[in-house]
Amino acid sequence: MTIRVLNPTSESVIATLNPAPRLTSLEGKTVGLISNGKEGTAGFFAHVDKLLRERYRVAEVVLRIKSNYSAPAEDEIIDEAKNWDLAISGLGD
Amino acid sequence: MKPASNAMIDGLKSQYFDLDEVGDAQEFYHSRGWTDGFPIVPPTPEAVQACLDWVNMPANEIIGIEPVRERAIDAEKLAINAVMAGCLPVHFPAVVSAWMAMLKDEFLLHGTTASTGGCAILLILNGSIRQEIGARSDFNVLGSSDRATSVIGRAIRLALINILQVSPGAIDRSTLGHPGKISYCVAEDEEGSDWSSLAESRDIPKEASAVTVLAAGAPRQIMNEWTSKPEEILDTYAAEMRANMRNYSIWSGNYVVIMPLQHREHMRVAGWGRKEIANYLFEKARIKRSEWSTVGKGSVVRDKGDTEYCALPSPEHLLLVAAGGPAGGFGAVIPPWLGTKSQAVTVAIGACIDCEPPSPKQIK
Repeated sequence: MTIRVLNPTSESVIATLNPAPRLTSLEGKTVGLISNGKEGTAGFFAHVDKLLRERYRVAEVVLRIKSNYSAPAEDEIIDEAKNWDLAISGLGD
Repeated sequence: MKPASNAMIDGLKSQYFDLDEVGDAQEFYHSRGWTDGFPIVPPTPEAVQACLDWVNMPANEIIGIEPVRERAIDAEKLAINAVMAGCLPVHFPAVVSAWMAMLKDEFLLHGTTASTGGCAILLILNGSIRQEIGARSDFNVLGSSDRATSVIGRAIRLALINILQVSPGAIDRSTLGHPGKISYCVAEDEEGSDWSSLAESRDIPKEASAVTVLAAGAPRQIMNEWTSKPEEILDTYAAEMRANMRNYSIWSGNYVVIMPLQHREHMRVAGWGRKEIANYLFEKARIKRSEWSTVGKGSVVRDKGDTEYCALPSPEHLLLVAAGGPAGGFGAVIPPWLGTKSQAVTVAIGACIDCEPPSPKQIK
């Protein structure tokens, strides 16, 4: 006997975003770091900051820390990110 | 198996599959990662429609939107997962209401389900629906106490897995998780308690059924059978809360205390109700940050050793639940996932007070 059954997963088509144009060089650029603020991130992002400045000759590194590490970044951080050439996020636990 | 199709079935819009044999269903679902590893009830259109009919919802009714990833949750997909979990239509209202609660901003569903912390979503049922669905509040209440709470709790997890991709290694990044992530639903023993119900204490009218959801760690069982004094009994619960603050997370939040009948009887005789118990635990469940150094966490005490932390931001943050078997001086503390980053939410079941946008007249 055949049986008809249904798909339990979301079948919604999720809108995708186009990635921003890739940078060819970091030299002279402004890079934003969005930290989740966890204990281990201080040393990690300090090192990333150092590498960006020394190895890639980045002009400025801006560190912003989310108030809730399990929630999205605040609107103020997202607004500020519009002034950056590059943002690094999603790291640090 | 015949090719899948998206053709309309009685108003249902989900893709369907025609399997040659009933026995094919288990491997069909397991092989696609659509289960929790246990057998499922095949979600036929008829069974799914019966759940929707019970709550009087069209298939495309939006239950809510997960705010971080902006994913809409509709009634049809919830019903499919509820059927798979073993729910009958009578169980479905609790599932729908729990999801409405979980989708409130303050619950932070994405964070709770993605975190390495590995919490589960605890449901606490109140009101007449407990009897309508045959939920039990006594023996083995935190285990497989009855069909209703088992399948309702499982429906929450299956829907997370299938609708929001909260499967291990995908959205779910839990380091450990705990058994409550299979099913975690408790009905309060209102008949065996002279307290007001948990839902009433959270401003739900006495006549309404309700569900409270909490992003919660595993139960931590305590035992004290050697006193009848409320203070001494509660000292044991408070000690477990302090242990959780030292060993797991120091941050204050909604702690659940499951108190079975034997301890409740001592409270009743002494005239202690919800308020007295919550006030006592609020005072006693506190540690200083310096205590971290006693459990190997001295490196993060720094210069804040004298700072005091309370398990509860206020006495009202205690979720005191009357439940458990009639004998035994046991109880349980269920800690929050992560302080107040996710907050307990209580909603009435089957009531929709603010789900429609206000009319122009109301706005004026």
